Amino acid sequence: MSKAFRWILLSAAVLALALALQPASAADVKMTLWRLKTYIPPADKILDTSIQECGKKIGAEVTIQTYTFDDMWTKYTAAIESKTLPDVAELDAVGPARLANLGRLSDVSDLVGTVTKELGELAQNAEGAVKFSGKFYAVPHYAIPLILFYRKDLLEKVSAQPPDTWEAINEISVKIKKAGLQDFPQGFPWNRTGDGYDPAMSLLWSYGAAWVDKSGRFTGLPKDKAVQAIKVVTPAYTTDKTAAFDYLSWSGSGNNEAFMAGKIAFTPNGPSILFQEDSTKHPLRKDTAIKIMPKGPAGRNLALTFVMNWGIPVDGKQQKEARALVACLMSKEKFTTYMTGSFQQAVPLFKSLINHEYWNTPDGKVIAETVKLGRPVGWPGPTTPAAAEVVSSNVLTDMMTRVIVDKVTPEKAVEEADKRIKEIYDRLPVK
Amino acid sequence: MALGRWGGPGEERRSLPPGTKLILTRPAATVPRAAGPAWFRINRVQERVLGYALITPVALLIVALIAYPFLNAIWLSLTEKMVGYPAHFVGLKNYAALYESPRFRIVAWNSVVYTVGSICTKLVIGMVMAVALQKAVRGNQLLRGFLLLPWVIPTVVIALTWRWLLDLYRGLFNVGLHDLGIIGAGIHWLGNPDLAMLSVIMANVWRGFPFFGVSFLAAMQTVPQDLYDAASVDGASAWQQFWRVSLPSIKGVVAIVTLLSTIWTLNDFNIVYIMTRGGPGAATHIFATYSYELGIQSQRWGMAMAASMYSLPVIALLIVFVVRYLHREEPAS
Repeated sequence: MSKAFRWILLSAAVLALALALQPASAADVKMTLWRLKTYIPPADKILDTSIQECGKKIGAEVTIQTYTFDDMWTKYTAAIESKTLPDVAELDAVGPARLANLGRLSDVSDLVGTVTKELGELAQNAEGAVKFSGKFYAVPHYAIPLILFYRKDLLEKVSAQPPDTWEAINEISVKIKKAGLQDFPQGFPWNRTGDGYDPAMSLLWSYGAAWVDKSGRFTGLPKDKAVQAIKVVTPAYTTDKTAAFDYLSWSGSGNNEAFMAGKIAFTPNGPSILFQEDSTKHPLRKDTAIKIMPKGPAGRNLALTFVMNWGIPVDGKQQKEARALVACLMSKEKFTTYMTGSFQQAVPLFKSLINHEYWNTPDGKVIAETVKLGRPVGWPGPTTPAAAEVVSSNVLTDMMTRVIVDKVTPEKAVEEADKRIKEIYDRLPVK
Repeated sequence: MALGRWGGPGEERRSLPPGTKLILTRPAATVPRAAGPAWFRINRVQERVLGYALITPVALLIVALIAYPFLNAIWLSLTEKMVGYPAHFVGLKNYAALYESPRFRIVAWNSVVYTVGSICTKLVIGMVMAVALQKAVRGNQLLRGFLLLPWVIPTVVIALTWRWLLDLYRGLFNVGLHDLGIIGAGIHWLGNPDLAMLSVIMANVWRGFPFFGVSFLAAMQTVPQDLYDAASVDGASAWQQFWRVSLPSIKGVVAIVTLLSTIWTLNDFNIVYIMTRGGPGAATHIFATYSYELGIQSQRWGMAMAASMYSLPVIALLIVFVVRYLHREEPAS
């Protein structure tokens, strides 16, 4: 054996011994976290920084993967079937119900208790989306409320007050059109985006047309009330012509673009329009105003469709670290940093922060108040897999477009929707 | 001189002396196999084993990537399968439910309109493109490359571009038509149910016509010039030359290209999903987008598979046509 070879062999042995004796490093614990990619990149950046800082703190290397509202369930569907859910999953309003029903989420009641101690009591309306059979299966992260955007300059021109009812929106839209200020001022897209189905739920519930009881069991879509609700919103497309058919094919950002292009006077949206106008110093910023979504004869029952929650799937191998990571992200310091950097997109669901001074601005008050008035998907019952499917299968917006596009009567459209909802609840009975 | 094994493996090629008469003898392979010597039979067995060994990886790949997913899809379509839950066999219940669903009938009809509309238009435009590019003119090669662009651009980009082109307010179509004084107000390309279908067909045609055009052009260039010359001498007009010479000569390619494109179009998803998501209402919902809605959004895999399977008989029939046509063409070629 040559001298050189002996040296190489000795060096390799020393190196192997050194590696074996090295203490476990942070990189030994590897985790994956999936989160929503929002319309506010600076807020996403803050969250990512917090995630990495928390990862470092607990001694884990965290890999972040993102999705949008559009492709979220494509990613989750594949992961559910292949049993490859991440260690930590940011789930939408229906995610906890779906995954908990499958037995794929860990009980995080203790974690919610920890967070509650730091951030205050959990808002009652947030519980319905995460608490099932007395146990918490996700930690509410934040809510993105849908608010009514309107053009205050146009309303002034037609001498109108900011609308508080659906009827008022119709009347003002007609005035704006007649005054020749805009051709199609009413930007409510009854389509397969969140800007379509969230207002559809709020509308029906505010007209008293909920289809379940407080236990979440199907009771039927109240025909008269649902017909009344449909008759309020469809004339904008069919007779008043204050809404363009093209709005029905908007993508998630279609109404943002139309509003900022000065083509519409009203639209439902998250606070992202404010961020986009502020960050681009948009000329319409001074004329943009927001208001809580309209009320109906049964009150103001607004859907909380965009609630994000931290879930810990049972598939994950790093259960302990996953809990520690969520606890860290929901610490007062980290959450406040995220909230105050979110351009008022991330409304907390724990009481001490919803009363934070950050929300004490004219816009902030509207946004926070909207969340306080929000109802979980499945209202007046809890969020159930059946309620989730009513949202995801677009039953409600299809009901609107059957009247607008296919010209069926509102009565027939309601009957069809009721049949579809019943079929969903029959297939996914509430336990 | 009789030539048995001329220029076989390992042998040096030799040139024949001038004036040599070639007499071809029956190849040795036609000798009855059973009558062959023992070493020959062993070779045949080895050859067979080698053949199977070589084909096994491909066969395994086909089973894993095509046969298994396909059979699994058929099985799932016969079950009540929700994402995350075990599948329960329900027989033809999903198919029956879809058959009775007015919404699914709209989807099936939309799929037919979308496919037939797209294919017919692509056929015509592709043929015009091929005829126009057949003549050798200056810049022809550049033009051919340019016209292939839609075919090489990713479909997602095409769909997003068309979505912008047809936007009510900022779209090039509406702005252009308005500036030319042709229209007063914007056309609701993606909002009007009929125009929405027309719009997604337009985008599909734009993406797909180069495939037709280039295939037809390649086929036309194999038609002997003599045929055109003869037709010309007989007084055939340009149209008659196309109808009587070009078209019959390339009919095989036309059939194959049309059938292949029909299969692709019937399975199309991206263009419709990105441009309209199947809307307004269900005006542009087709098999693929409806299956996505059922399978991913509503998590009903069994029903989604059944919806997809409804297009299977048509696709299977088209595949049989293509394969049979190719087999029929083989001896002729």
